[in-house]
Amino acid sequence: MRKTDILDVVSRKLAPFMFLFGLYLVSHGDLSPGGGFQGGVVIASGVILLAMAKGSAAAAALLPVRKLAVTEAVAFGLILAVGLAGVLMGAGFLADVLYDGTLLPIVRTPFVFILNLLIGLKVGAGASLICLHLFAQE
Amino acid sequence: MGARAVEIAAVLAVAIFLVLALGGEHPTETPVRAYVVEHGEEQTGAANLVTSVYLGYRAFDTLGETIVLLLAVSGVVLFVEHRQ
Amino acid sequence: MAWYLIGAIFLAGVWGLIALPNLIKKVVALNIANSAIILFFIYFGSLSGDTAPIMGDGAGTPVDPLPQALMLTAIVVGVCVVALALGLVYRLYTRYGTLDIREIERKVWKRDE
Repeated sequence: MRKTDILDVVSRKLAPFMFLFGLYLVSHGDLSPGGGFQGGVVIASGVILLAMAKGSAAAAALLPVRKLAVTEAVAFGLILAVGLAGVLMGAGFLADVLYDGTLLPIVRTPFVFILNLLIGLKVGAGASLICLHLFAQE
Repeated sequence: MGARAVEIAAVLAVAIFLVLALGGEHPTETPVRAYVVEHGEEQTGAANLVTSVYLGYRAFDTLGETIVLLLAVSGVVLFVEHRQ
Repeated sequence: MAWYLIGAIFLAGVWGLIALPNLIKKVVALNIANSAIILFFIYFGSLSGDTAPIMGDGAGTPVDPLPQALMLTAIVVGVCVVALALGLVYRLYTRYGTLDIREIERKVWKRDE
């Protein structure tokens, strides 16, 4: 199938901004519309745009499937670790032990920020993995 | 011919159920909403109340959801990359 | 009136799920029914207020955040279900060479005899 140069150039220039917007959604999830799931899906849509415009081999060269799988598994393990940290501090599984009523200057609440970041990584890697595996079967 | 009749009957039954179920009264004020709107920001620190629900009050729900996503990815890899 | 529109979308999904023979169309119909459920919850939650559920930006009563959080879960689970279903459809297609559920059933019964 013939592809035009417009598709090539636009997808290459647009994908980094989609990643950036996804990271913005993830990191500002506690004070504006957005959050881990939404931002992760936006990041995954950048990967899917690259995979559809440049071919799944090019997208897999940028983000190898194996590294994505490791990223997802490690992010899930870290979510469990954050949950178990609450148990070790004596507050229960997945309890917020860091928040005591005061809002920090940049990261308002570290617990929500860390969980949003991990969920964003996990959802982005997971949705990209699903689509890359499905696209790889021609 | 019988299969088509069963299909039509099933769709009609769902349609009648939907007309009966969606036509009634729909209360909008719930105690949970009042509690979350009043205490959500001070108890979890998130200004976005949706975030305060899914990472504060219902974090277990979110954990289970990530497990579902992990299993879905595993299932897709199993189904798609399988070689006989 | 909007309730009946949402019901009609759900009904379209149910009809496609049981009447269409193509497996890909069945998966799409399942997703349409899922979207109708999501619309139902979001519309139900939106009746209880008039601004987004984000505190600190002034006037207005925020809508119910609970249905929105639940539907966040439902959307991700719906994506997972569609991905798994498409994987299964792909396996069926590589094995039987067709997407028509009637042909697949016929081939399965013929192989058993």
